Amino acid sequence: MPTRKSANTKQRTLTDSLQEYGRGVAGGLMFSLPLLYTMEVWWTGIVAHPFRLVGYVLATFVLLIGYNRYAGLRRDSSMAEVAIDSVEEMGIGLLLAGLVLFLLGRVTAEMSSLEVAGVIVLEAMTVAIGVSIGTAQLGAGGKDDEGLGEGGELGTSFGGQIVMGFCGAVLFAANVAPTEEVIVIAIEVSWLRLIGLAILSLLVAFMVLHFSGFKGADQFVHADHPTIILLGTFTTYSIALIASALILWFFGRFDDVTLFTALAQTIVLGVPATLGASAGRLLLQ
Amino acid sequence: MKKLQKNWLEWAVFAVGLILVTSALGYLFYAGVSMGNEPPSIEVRLGTPEPRQSNFAVPVTVLNHGDETAASIRIEVVMQSNGAEPARGELDIPFLPRNATRDGWVTFDQDPRKAQLRARVLGYQKP
Repeated sequence: MPTRKSANTKQRTLTDSLQEYGRGVAGGLMFSLPLLYTMEVWWTGIVAHPFRLVGYVLATFVLLIGYNRYAGLRRDSSMAEVAIDSVEEMGIGLLLAGLVLFLLGRVTAEMSSLEVAGVIVLEAMTVAIGVSIGTAQLGAGGKDDEGLGEGGELGTSFGGQIVMGFCGAVLFAANVAPTEEVIVIAIEVSWLRLIGLAILSLLVAFMVLHFSGFKGADQFVHADHPTIILLGTFTTYSIALIASALILWFFGRFDDVTLFTALAQTIVLGVPATLGASAGRLLLQ
Repeated sequence: MKKLQKNWLEWAVFAVGLILVTSALGYLFYAGVSMGNEPPSIEVRLGTPEPRQSNFAVPVTVLNHGDETAASIRIEVVMQSNGAEPARGELDIPFLPRNATRDGWVTFDQDPRKAQLRARVLGYQKP
């Protein structure tokens, strides 16, 4: 696989590409299997308005481009390559989701074509993010694979951190958001506990990013001043809340609820999303 | 811009991906544009009763002609034969998306082939 020095002159061999796709398929399944096995997700795919699904596909595409740009396998890629990679990953995601859903008996001949498209498209988007992460992260790091050292520069930029945090948050939150449990908790829990959950999220973000010496924390998160630590923690939590709200809205969890319930759901989902966002900023590098 | 480094396999995967993504988007967009917002409109069709070991099964086909999904649909089938008490059969369908069809059966002890069968939707809710 090419790095910016030597390999631009030679093509990747077929074996290289196949290995890469293999990693992508593995990653896609690893990160999205909980969703493929969740009833609420099938229903959301069936019930969701087609335009909402189109929006979901476009949003995922933007996320994939962001991820491939900042953390993808080939950090020296041009925008065209990044876009091509993203389309490939989406295609693999659609194929994989279709195959697994068919084997699970969730796509059958008696369903209308819109139902089939809805279920597959909805599930495929998480698979595609998984494929993207699998391709870039699961590699063993061959001789000129994944220039971590060189790429670090790009990854530590503020924009890169935001994108990575967002990817992590979406990946974690998407597995929890469609379940009934989120709305049940949001309705039943008292506002004091909600504040507790928010504080827990902030502590988690602080712990992962600045305190517990996670691999990569020193390298990617520069924090030598309390203000910066505070800022970083709150930024991570904001990313998590925005990701939570977007996903909840997409899964139709904001339809016909009061503002308080919507906010409560966002905070409840914010806990896993914060875990994802913090992990994304460190681990997805 | 430098030349793209891709072998034929990668181009093939890209081509398949592009076709899949654009056709999925195109189809969804088309479905969205051509879709109205009619509330669920549910039709119940009864098939020919089939004798089973201990009872008679009447096939029921449920269709949703509306643009919105109906959930928890309850269907009642009443058998009216001359002089006898009417017999009732019930069927629950958890989910009926727009343009979807679901099949089921209601069963009766007496032979419904000599009687009159009437089916109606008792109710359904928003998903």
